[in-house]
Amino acid sequence: MEVALQPLRLRQLLHFASSKANKNPFIIRNIRPFFVIRCCSTTTSSSAATVDGGAPRQSGRNRRPSSTSTNSTSDREAVRTIRIKKVQELRSNGLDPYAYKWDRTHTANQLQEIYINLGNGEESNSESDYVSIAGRIVARRAFGKLAFMTLRDDSGTIQLYCEKEKLLSDQFEQLKTLVDIGDILGARGSMKRTEKGELSVCVNSFSILTKSLLPLPDKYHGLTDIDKRYRQRYVDMIANPEVAEIFRKRAKIISEIRKTVESAGFVEVETPVLQGAAGGAEARPFITYHNSLGQDLYLRIATELHLKRMLVFEIVVEPKLMQPTFVLDYPIEISPLAKPHRRHAGLTERFELFICGREMANAFSELTDPLDQRERLEEQVKQHNKKKAVVVSEMSIAEDEDESADDSYNVTLDEDFLTALEYGMPPASGMGLGIDRLVMLLTNSASIRDVIAFPVLKTLQ
Amino acid sequence: MASGRARPQAQKSSAAEDEGMDPTQYYENRLKALAAQKVAGNNPYPHKFAASLTIPDYVKKYESLNSGDHLEDVEERLAGRLMNKRSSSAKLFFYDLHGGGAKVQVMTDARKSDLDEEEFTKFHSSVKRGDIVGIIGFPGKNSAKKTDVWVPGSGRNLETYILKDQETRYRQRYLDLMLNMEVREIFKTRAKIISYIRSFLDQRDFLEVETPMMNMIAGGAAARPFVTHHNDLNMKLFMRIAPELFLKELVVGGLERVYEIGKQFRNEGIDLTHNPEFTTCEFYMAFADYNDLMELTEEMLSGMVKELTGGFKIKYHANGSDSDPIEIDFTPPFRRIDMIEELEKVANLSIPKDISSEETNKYLADACVKFDIKCPPPQTTARLLDKLVGHFLEETCINPTYIINHPEIMSPLAKWHRSKPGLTERFELFINKHELCNAYTELNDPVVQRQRFADQLKDRQSGDDEAMALDETFCTALEYGLPPTGGWGLGIDRLAMLLTDSQNIKEVLLFPAMKPQDEPSTKDSNKKTQDEPPSEELKKNVTLS
Repeated sequence: MEVALQPLRLRQLLHFASSKANKNPFIIRNIRPFFVIRCCSTTTSSSAATVDGGAPRQSGRNRRPSSTSTNSTSDREAVRTIRIKKVQELRSNGLDPYAYKWDRTHTANQLQEIYINLGNGEESNSESDYVSIAGRIVARRAFGKLAFMTLRDDSGTIQLYCEKEKLLSDQFEQLKTLVDIGDILGARGSMKRTEKGELSVCVNSFSILTKSLLPLPDKYHGLTDIDKRYRQRYVDMIANPEVAEIFRKRAKIISEIRKTVESAGFVEVETPVLQGAAGGAEARPFITYHNSLGQDLYLRIATELHLKRMLVFEIVVEPKLMQPTFVLDYPIEISPLAKPHRRHAGLTERFELFICGREMANAFSELTDPLDQRERLEEQVKQHNKKKAVVVSEMSIAEDEDESADDSYNVTLDEDFLTALEYGMPPASGMGLGIDRLVMLLTNSASIRDVIAFPVLKTLQ
Repeated sequence: MASGRARPQAQKSSAAEDEGMDPTQYYENRLKALAAQKVAGNNPYPHKFAASLTIPDYVKKYESLNSGDHLEDVEERLAGRLMNKRSSSAKLFFYDLHGGGAKVQVMTDARKSDLDEEEFTKFHSSVKRGDIVGIIGFPGKNSAKKTDVWVPGSGRNLETYILKDQETRYRQRYLDLMLNMEVREIFKTRAKIISYIRSFLDQRDFLEVETPMMNMIAGGAAARPFVTHHNDLNMKLFMRIAPELFLKELVVGGLERVYEIGKQFRNEGIDLTHNPEFTTCEFYMAFADYNDLMELTEEMLSGMVKELTGGFKIKYHANGSDSDPIEIDFTPPFRRIDMIEELEKVANLSIPKDISSEETNKYLADACVKFDIKCPPPQTTARLLDKLVGHFLEETCINPTYIINHPEIMSPLAKWHRSKPGLTERFELFINKHELCNAYTELNDPVVQRQRFADQLKDRQSGDDEAMALDETFCTALEYGLPPTGGWGLGIDRLAMLLTDSQNIKEVLLFPAMKPQDEPSTKDSNKKTQDEPPSEELKKNVTLS
């Protein structure tokens, strides 16, 4: 997804005014052709993106108590060897351990809803009750001529009720010897609710769709090794179904934001990730190299991240801001792109939104005066070069590059942006919203790594 | 907002006087004027102007006025950019006010103004083309002249643009958007394409996800990656070249239908169809195979073309703007051609059955020589086949056409064909000879997957640095079990090019990657070059009006 946008480039696009933006003259009266949603989710900052690989933090959700590794390496290898033999056995029986497709009629959850009124011990086996489902086996119990399996798909779970007599030919034997927990199965059958009240598919035939080679984490303890949860997100999702729910909510949140801005007449655009010059003086950028251009390129950065660290205010007041609160009118010195306040000298027209002590959004009346903007950016470059000179001289003395390389990158004045302003930018306001933090808040997640499917982690030793 | 009281006549343009002058002088004059305003206590960059409605809405609201009508009792407030200025006397000025893709004429008459005559003349002399202004006045109409609006799927003529200079258009996109009204429609069309795909997939219960842009291994495709470095972790990272492996890991995790629309990065040359960063959509659908995906693709693309253009056929200047546009027909179903079978038929070849053999490699290398098809080293079988297919098959794919069943050696992540040994269940969709989609039944046998990666390593060792790297994390994920899955990728930029009659990818990227300019942009050189009106055409337009 691409709502993550680079502020300077976006501002250049204000000429690309949407025709619907000012639909309601009573609400949006001045020229704000489109708002700028600067979502920080894919902007980068090589030091801000740091992740501490260790130090497991307790998640806000009810995780099961911590336990040590679920399967020792030797167990795991033994299971793998046995299952690879089963793969061969399936093939020699003319069965495909890796099927090509499966047509299902329902998801587990759909069946739970359709048959919600089926009474205990009742069966439904007219033609329309003959269903087909598919998913991963997460539990199984086998008795003499009867076996129960729990099948989980994207939507939820349902029980497979497998009676030897009801199954085709030798499928019951196959089920007992070749099907393991973790396998992905397709099954067909009629509907029944057991005496104990468990809605089940009474299986007539099944097919192993994908043979799993590795054992799932211990079913009682789940996957509690935090590092492993992030490194192998798919195992996390298999073991903790509520994890998938976070990513469903994340998608929903982004979708709602998109709907809101689109219905206000905004046009979604894509601006470059790779840039010829470092995007701002405040954060250390990622640097890469383009082979055929023979030129260094910089990855775009989240510009305001580092500035706000200069605020003593942040330490004193922010933790107290639990309810959604706008903090207004920041000083000019820490707001290089915001317009001077129309009444208060030395301040800008800017706000940050705090919720639960965390910054969620940052917005301001955009600075449109090109001369003022030039002065401010030149000052930034000057400050940066001062720091850089110090770093470079320290480096030549200490020769300790790793420690002091922080500010040794080049920052240049963004002439393109200044030129764009000289052609005239309408009065405009811009807003940036941190999607990850918003998702953390709305999914009760304590760590940003809980809301990013594949967070950056330290290399395993 | 013309009152209709006086008809605009082409007169000596007062603006021309300024704009004909040396750009540096012009710039200095503007700075002085600004400084004077600030000293006088006026803010040339006000915080706000309360417009009563947008220019497009204004045009819609009053387009039914008759010529000569003027509603002096009505007050409207509009804001936008002045793009043209004419005066018939010191007491009467005309402007074109642009905004939101529409324009309206502004007539201002000293007799109707709150200012006295002298102030009026002084004020309007200081107003320049390009200024952003708010105006207050009453609606009126002189004569209605409707201009044709470009619609997706129809041809374009860049020669008619006010600003033609390509470098300026791409480097200073804001000028392009200001001056060439069609350009905003191009980018709106791009947004509509993405929005259509998103709602198409959302309706089918796909979940939109985000996967990392920086990874320790650049997997999922065969291309040269960008390399960068994470300082705190002291770790080399690659920019992604495809999200494929991560998305399949999510399907392993139980998200049965996922998709991602986002940027990919490839460290290769810049040309008419390649930009170092480009946008793709990939989706993965559990329990589906490539046959299902071909139907889904037809449904998506034909549905999109129908919705955006009103029909299944589009016009495209495939042979340059000098030639007539060709017609591309998206009516489903699309033609399907079996790669090896068709290649043998068209080129009259008989490719040895064991495609991975040395014998086949030799046979194909000879075939390339025979047909004078260049294949720079390393001449791996995959690369030789690619060249032959490009020459004999892709050239025939004007209307949407699937080339299907690629050999395993060309497709390390695709599942072996269920009935044709040595081949895979894969298709590529070609339109106007360019690849738009690539999709397959996903290889989910971890043992075979490891073997395929090992084979790729051999190609890599023989010098093909676009061969795919082994991703152990991904192989482990497959061992937990990936359900039968169909996976699909689409190049959004190329699709946007087709629907906007663009022959250059830069036409559909707001800020395309450009080669560095010859002169380094120091502050002084910038003053002289960039502040000039952007091109001769622009100047001409001004002096002629």
